[in-house]
Amino acid sequence: MLSIKNLQVSVEDKPILHGLDLQVGRGEVHAIMGPNGSGKSTLSYVLAGREGYQVTGGEVSFDGVDLLGMEPEERARAGLFLGMQYPVELPGVNNMSFIRESLNAIREARGEAPLDAVAFMQRVREKARLVGLNEKLLKRSVNSGFSGGEKKRNEILQLAMLEPKLAILDETDSGLDIDALRVIAEGVNSLRDPQRAMIVVTHYQRLLDYIRPDHVHVLIGGRIVRSGGPELAQELERRGYAWLEEEAA
Amino acid sequence: MITAEQQTRWQERQLAALTPPHRGPDSGDLLERVRQQARASLPDQPVLNRKQEAWRYTSVDKLLAQTYAAPRHREELGEADIAGYDLPELDGYRLVFHNGQCLPKLARLDGLPQGAIAGSLRACLSTDGGLISRHLGQQAGLEGNLFTALNGSLIDNGLLLHIGAGVELDRPIQIVHISEGLGQAVVSQPRHLIVLEAGARATVVEHFVGQDADGYFHNNLAEIVLGEHAALEHYRLQDEGDASYHLSSLYLQLQAASLYRGTALSFGGAWARTDYKVAFAGEAASCDLSGLYTAGDEQLNDIHLDVRHNLPRCTSRERFKGIAHGQGHAVFDGRVLVERDAQRSDARLKNDNLMLSRKAMIDTKPQLEIYADDVVCSHGTTVGQIEPDQLFYLRSRGIGPATALRMLCQGFAGEIVEDMDSEPLREHAYARLSSILDNAGQTE
Repeated sequence: MLSIKNLQVSVEDKPILHGLDLQVGRGEVHAIMGPNGSGKSTLSYVLAGREGYQVTGGEVSFDGVDLLGMEPEERARAGLFLGMQYPVELPGVNNMSFIRESLNAIREARGEAPLDAVAFMQRVREKARLVGLNEKLLKRSVNSGFSGGEKKRNEILQLAMLEPKLAILDETDSGLDIDALRVIAEGVNSLRDPQRAMIVVTHYQRLLDYIRPDHVHVLIGGRIVRSGGPELAQELERRGYAWLEEEAA
Repeated sequence: MITAEQQTRWQERQLAALTPPHRGPDSGDLLERVRQQARASLPDQPVLNRKQEAWRYTSVDKLLAQTYAAPRHREELGEADIAGYDLPELDGYRLVFHNGQCLPKLARLDGLPQGAIAGSLRACLSTDGGLISRHLGQQAGLEGNLFTALNGSLIDNGLLLHIGAGVELDRPIQIVHISEGLGQAVVSQPRHLIVLEAGARATVVEHFVGQDADGYFHNNLAEIVLGEHAALEHYRLQDEGDASYHLSSLYLQLQAASLYRGTALSFGGAWARTDYKVAFAGEAASCDLSGLYTAGDEQLNDIHLDVRHNLPRCTSRERFKGIAHGQGHAVFDGRVLVERDAQRSDARLKNDNLMLSRKAMIDTKPQLEIYADDVVCSHGTTVGQIEPDQLFYLRSRGIGPATALRMLCQGFAGEIVEDMDSEPLREHAYARLSSILDNAGQTE
């Protein structure tokens, strides 16, 4: 579904990703782990199409289409979702209207009719319960004044509503206490689907106790230096990143 | 920049072009008295150039480059002609003015409560002369300018709204002001008098619209008097034609414990200015002014406030938001003065601006002058742009850039719009904003 070949990316002319390869198939859950500054967020953002990332080499295809040639909204409509590490606040933009606008834009791209108000309300309430988001926050401005945990729940709510083919979760566990982590992980697990792939980007192994990946990759210095099964995450938890950093150097 | 000589010549040309035809005895001495007073003040009016602080950002050069003729009136206008301008969802009373003259055929005043008068100033002269005489020219005489003096010099007609003591206007009253040149550049200068006696309540929605192929000038002046404990909710929707000039001069006098809530949505015109002058005439009165204004290519949009806390325990709120796009020029000059005896005044002045293009221009000048020592006052201003991260967030959810921009701008405006107690007005505001942003095209 997602094929990344020799991807090289610079930010402000500083090379961050130095030829990254990754293949993600339908239904698979991949974890990308790495220390700070290894290029994890760069990878997430460049896949979602954020400005300021210069692709200097390599290619990315998503369902056979050149992903890097698409605008951010086209990627979302094609089924890519990025759950952000730091979701931005949108003062004055009603959360419910935002989610509805988003869902209907994506439904339109899929050739589906927009959801009517009643059906939308039912669904958004059901999914808000699933991720443990207080319904009052649906009526507020997007992320405005939300706690760190509430912002993350709101991201997973959008994931649940938009039903993407590929979900990238960037440091979804950062800033969460253990209870919030469990609720969010349950939400994510309920969205695992043979048709849906996920990439879970994280610094710590903790999240992977709850969201069990099929594959684990270690990103260091802008390259994937090791790939393995869930046991690799356990090993990193025991030994840290230093031994791999030494190997990579 | 305008010189004293140019200004004098313009005003003389205007007086010559516009001297109203004598309309018989009903105009009485009353209007003539106001005219003569205003005329006598004309030579003393300051030159409206950049040296005048209140006109520093608002060039009148283009406006004064033209002589405006007296407009024609189309008394035959029917419902179909005003269909695009009316806000039927408001479900209220209605008066329609065309080029400053009331069109009685289009009035909708059935069921107006006893004790309420709504109609044309001229028509009411014979029946309510005493009332008009008590108030007309009382507020507007002070600290006027060329345009207010010109309005007075040629005073001819306008709105009279009078709500008697303790009377509540049960539904909003909509005042539609239609301007059109019909082949020439014209000026209409209606004079409005809104008086709420003690304890009266009303909601007034004014809508300024026009056909502007000929670049008309709409120079209205309103005097608003609220008696003790009276409450007025006053919405003003300025949707004038693209080539027009629009000046609204509002003079407010608020008596003890009265409440004025004014919301100005100013979107239209090539050159538009709204001037609020507020004076308290009793303690514990409250004045809440808010507004939203936009300026795009070839457009100047200006909000001026002059709020004087001259008595104790009065409250004022000033919240205005401006959006400048293309090569638009948005101006906010808000002055709140708290005089020495105005103890326990509470005033909060805030102006926020959004710049959607590099070529837009924003002038903002919040001024708070405090001479009393026991007050709660604050003022602040911001000028910002759309954050690329906010735009990216929306786009990453499948929302196209134009829609994303509209959502963020509506979010910015939401603080003003959501405070309006009327669903049709909120919808009108968002719809107008949407169409302005759609036409604004690409941002730079």
